[in-house]
Amino acid sequence: MATTSHVLFPRWSNHLVRALLGVVGIGAGMLLVFAFAYFRSPLFTRQNEPINQPVEFDHRHHVRDHGIDCRFCHTTVEKGASAGYPPSEVCGSCHGQVWNKSPYLAPIRTSLFTNKPLEWLRVHDLRDYVYFNHAAHVNKGVGCATCHGRVDKMAAVYKHAPLNMGWCLDCHRNPNHNLRPREFITSTTWIADDPEAVGAAVAKQNNVHTRVSCSTCHR
Amino acid sequence: MPQIDPTKPRFWRSVEDFTSGADRPKAAHGYPELVGREFPVGATEIDGATRRDFLKLVGLTAAGTMAAGCMRNPPERVLPYVRQPADIRPGIPLHYATSMSLGGYGIGLLVTSREGRPIKIEGNPDHPASFGASGTFEQALAYGVYDPQRGKSVKRKGEQSGWKSFVSDVQTRIAAAKADNGKKVVFLDGPTASPFDGWLRKQVGKTLPEATFVTYTGVDRDAVFDGTELAFGQRLETRFDFDKARVVVALDDDFLESGPDRLVNARDFARHRVPEPEGAEGAASLGGHDVGGKREPAGEWMNRLYVAECGYSVTGGQADHRLRVRGSEIVCLAAALYARIVPEGAADVAALGAPFKDSKWVAAVAKDLASRGPTAVVTVGTRQPAEVHALAAAINATLKSEVVEYGLPLLLDTKSGSSTLKDIVAAANAGQIDTLVITAWNPVYAAPADIPFADALKKIPNVVYYGQFEDETSVHAHWYIPAAHELESWGDSTSMDGTVAIQQPLIAPLFDGVQRGELFGAFAGLPDRTAHELLREAHAQNSADITANGGFDSWWERVLQKGVLSPTPPDTIHPTLQAGKIGERLRPFKFERIEGIEVNYVVDNKVHDGRYADNAWLQELPEPLTKVVWGNVAMISPAMAEKNNLAAEEIVKITVDGRAMEVPLFVLPGHADDAISIAIGYGRAGGEAIARGVGSNVNTLRTTAALWFGARATLAKTGKSDRLGITQEHWAMEGRPIALTAELADIKRKHLPMIEEQNGPQPSMMDEWPNTTPEGYRWAMAIDMAKCTGCNACILACESENNILIVGKDQVRRGREMHWLRVDRYFEEVDGSLADAKVVLQPMACVQCEKAPCEYVCPVNATVHSDEGLNDMVYNRCVGTRYCANNCPYKVRRFNYLNWHNNLQGTYEMKMNPDVTVRARGVIEKCTYCVQRIEQARIATRIENHGVGRVIRDGEIVTACQQSCASGAITFGSLHDPKSAVSKLHADERAYAVLWELNTRPRTRHLAKVRNPNPELA
Repeated sequence: MATTSHVLFPRWSNHLVRALLGVVGIGAGMLLVFAFAYFRSPLFTRQNEPINQPVEFDHRHHVRDHGIDCRFCHTTVEKGASAGYPPSEVCGSCHGQVWNKSPYLAPIRTSLFTNKPLEWLRVHDLRDYVYFNHAAHVNKGVGCATCHGRVDKMAAVYKHAPLNMGWCLDCHRNPNHNLRPREFITSTTWIADDPEAVGAAVAKQNNVHTRVSCSTCHR
Repeated sequence: MPQIDPTKPRFWRSVEDFTSGADRPKAAHGYPELVGREFPVGATEIDGATRRDFLKLVGLTAAGTMAAGCMRNPPERVLPYVRQPADIRPGIPLHYATSMSLGGYGIGLLVTSREGRPIKIEGNPDHPASFGASGTFEQALAYGVYDPQRGKSVKRKGEQSGWKSFVSDVQTRIAAAKADNGKKVVFLDGPTASPFDGWLRKQVGKTLPEATFVTYTGVDRDAVFDGTELAFGQRLETRFDFDKARVVVALDDDFLESGPDRLVNARDFARHRVPEPEGAEGAASLGGHDVGGKREPAGEWMNRLYVAECGYSVTGGQADHRLRVRGSEIVCLAAALYARIVPEGAADVAALGAPFKDSKWVAAVAKDLASRGPTAVVTVGTRQPAEVHALAAAINATLKSEVVEYGLPLLLDTKSGSSTLKDIVAAANAGQIDTLVITAWNPVYAAPADIPFADALKKIPNVVYYGQFEDETSVHAHWYIPAAHELESWGDSTSMDGTVAIQQPLIAPLFDGVQRGELFGAFAGLPDRTAHELLREAHAQNSADITANGGFDSWWERVLQKGVLSPTPPDTIHPTLQAGKIGERLRPFKFERIEGIEVNYVVDNKVHDGRYADNAWLQELPEPLTKVVWGNVAMISPAMAEKNNLAAEEIVKITVDGRAMEVPLFVLPGHADDAISIAIGYGRAGGEAIARGVGSNVNTLRTTAALWFGARATLAKTGKSDRLGITQEHWAMEGRPIALTAELADIKRKHLPMIEEQNGPQPSMMDEWPNTTPEGYRWAMAIDMAKCTGCNACILACESENNILIVGKDQVRRGREMHWLRVDRYFEEVDGSLADAKVVLQPMACVQCEKAPCEYVCPVNATVHSDEGLNDMVYNRCVGTRYCANNCPYKVRRFNYLNWHNNLQGTYEMKMNPDVTVRARGVIEKCTYCVQRIEQARIATRIENHGVGRVIRDGEIVTACQQSCASGAITFGSLHDPKSAVSKLHADERAYAVLWELNTRPRTRHLAKVRNPNPELA
């Protein structure tokens, strides 16, 4: 026979437990909301965060001022999965002639003389289980600037887009507003007057059929 | 589930499965507890951890995961080239043609290289010996090249030395040896038919004219040459054109899986393993096939195979009629056939004194052979003595068989058996050898027990051993020279049909290995020349071809690109049988019947003679018939196990002439009675960490007199046992009709009730599977069980392509092997017993169900359907509940119980295919239909025509397993095109869906195995 004298916890502790459970429940919910928000925020995606490279390479100068096409350095963008980083030799091919004594270019000269590669930092770093293919996008009418932003305005390159899966799928579900004619693929300044109409025409011409099956990108 | 019909053939996974039935006698031997269990022992348990430990670990993991999730990864570093090589575009694979040699003959290879790392081996389509296909040894090269156990430096008497010191030592010795023209210098090489090796020997001959070159290998072809010498008075190489064969009698000959022409044999044999010709070739030959100058009537397309053997070989698994004969008694069978076919053969055989077994079997086979004449052939394995080869040659000559072709030997040396080792031992003991250069593979290990080769080496002042590993031989050598791997060397090879192929390196030697050319160059007084220069010089004499191609350099570039030199037509010889002389020549042969138990040694399907023992990929392959991994077993017949009260996995002591060894038993249905078969190549004791201690060394039992069989053995129980690593018992199919067979006669009269039953209507309450893609691809596969030999090449190809990791013997015992593709082997009982069991092989990987049971149960959507019908596996979503694996009726999903890739040492990491995710612990994986190849083809075709694209053509996507398969058992393609190869096969009358009754609608359909029995033997 249980009597009150044997009760371990006083009656008011029930309220405490209920209150605590409520707090924990709300806390868990908030944590979830916070996590969802955090993993989508630039805090986590490192969007808009310029990254300091071993060489102070300025895209503004090369792209905007001199009008060098993206493909001059990123040579495999139309052929392979990776756009390609230029070998030190490509830098040297111009800077052997111009600015060949500039202290900014010392790492490149060291690389060329010692035969040691430059260690660039990846700005657009996809997880290893994502298989993105540049050629598939560029050839179908997705311009460089669509994902990489106005590189011609970046001193140090930063991530323009969040590059998370939701962002990829937004375009894969409705690509038209991101398509442009072939001749403007590498243009940083091109703006469509009527993106939907232009995109629809490009999509028709290029047989654009985006896919959203998992194995499209995850293998 | 359909009722089991007692009138239909029944299939069993193993002896244990067979005997565990309620109506069966219980066997003393076996794994009854395994058959009864749903999961193997330990499959779901954690080692040495209590529940508390487990909870602690879970807590820690959860905390760790949360902490790790909130942290941001440091930025990845990218290292572009300083000067980018012209051909290399990072991310775009390159393919180089090269070749390898096994048993002296070459096989052309096409190697995929990613940023300078060879990662995948395929056959060179331009090379006639590989025609784009490849076997297990070829595939495994891609793993072997990264083996960190390989020799890393030149050693002198075990101390680290250098190549330069070796060269200067060689120079002083050559100077001294020149006094007697190098009479006391002996080179012990492996078998080779390479023109470069011939040229190098000539160069060595210029400095040391009397130096001798001898050849040794544990797996020699001497009997073939000796046999033709007996029959024709001429040493000739024997080849077979199975495309012409309709009746084949294989006497202890595993021609589909062993021997230099195995890929070609498998292809040609498989073409005629189906009722009717397929594809374009079929249409052309519908009116009959041109064989032997006469038109064959249509419908005579399928061949018939008789096999007589002791153990159960891959070729034996294909047999329509198989006779279990002990190795030493094959000669009796050959003699009986000879007596029936060759005129006056009976008299010759009578003189032999062999109690040849004329039987109903022999009579029926002889009749079948005689009725097929030029399209019939008798083949004999290299284990058999020359006399059996001579008898077969006489039979083939009498039949006027057009299947068999003779040619002048291409091997530089047609004597490479243990007799050469004996000669060396004698010469060493007589003090006639000053310098012995061993380039043959590990003769100290491979030598039979009665040749004291290691002792003889002690009597030679200077022994040089050149090998990839510091092994049993290197410890006896004064100099050890690390050999560069096949993928690191320049060289060439000659295939059996005479095609010369270039071997070009894919990667600079990873561990300072020395190339063969450079080693011989040192002895030829050319130590400063690279192997590349020497090879170019050796080929500079191909004058006619070079002039036609605009000079040496442009010719060389063309040759490197194609991998093969312009083929020279092979010298086919039509030797005449020296009638009447055979009996006379056979007379010295004495047949002695072995009373009691005979011990048979077989060449291993995985490690060959032991040279691949350090290759973990090969070690973890299931042996085709026993499905045993990591080690060899003593195979005995069920009757023998019963008679001697022996059980599987029991370790027995086998004694031959006072020499003993211990080995675990395996009860193999279809094995000859009173005989034990054991694979050679195990029990290695060299410096290779992976090879060491795996299996038991049978070379300690072998003698030259009984090299392969013919020795009487005694068996003794040891009371010990060893749990074998067997992939056979884990994947039960619960007695349902899974692997179907049909007889040719039934196919012809369209009587296939079993297959029709598996093709019935499949009502569904759900909508038909939508086809939403613009191109309409519906990927599918067809696997023809009539063609599959179970050679395992597909498993390794898959492993290589998809970054599948090995797990080790202990984990295989728990059923944790990771192979995405397995080849199920079912034994079919004959007359209610497994004594003469037949075999059905069924390659099984994810069948990509349209209504996939795995997808319904995944709580996190980690396995979902693609728009083209693939059952996608999303590793990064998988949380490892394993519900999908439990719900998969085909049991093709594999779980990463541990972080297997943590076991990978540095160099092995270079092997990984960058197009496929390396899976971590806690993730399920399975066959993807090589989705990376599908996507590559899709992207390549979509960006064509300035981005307009085109559709993927049929045959443009080739899965890794399909590519390696020599017999063409696997076909991949899209069902949306009714003309595609796979659509046609899906519509074939032999096609069925495995586990049709579950309504899973698999995209992989299997085609029933066809048997073509002789009505007279039915």
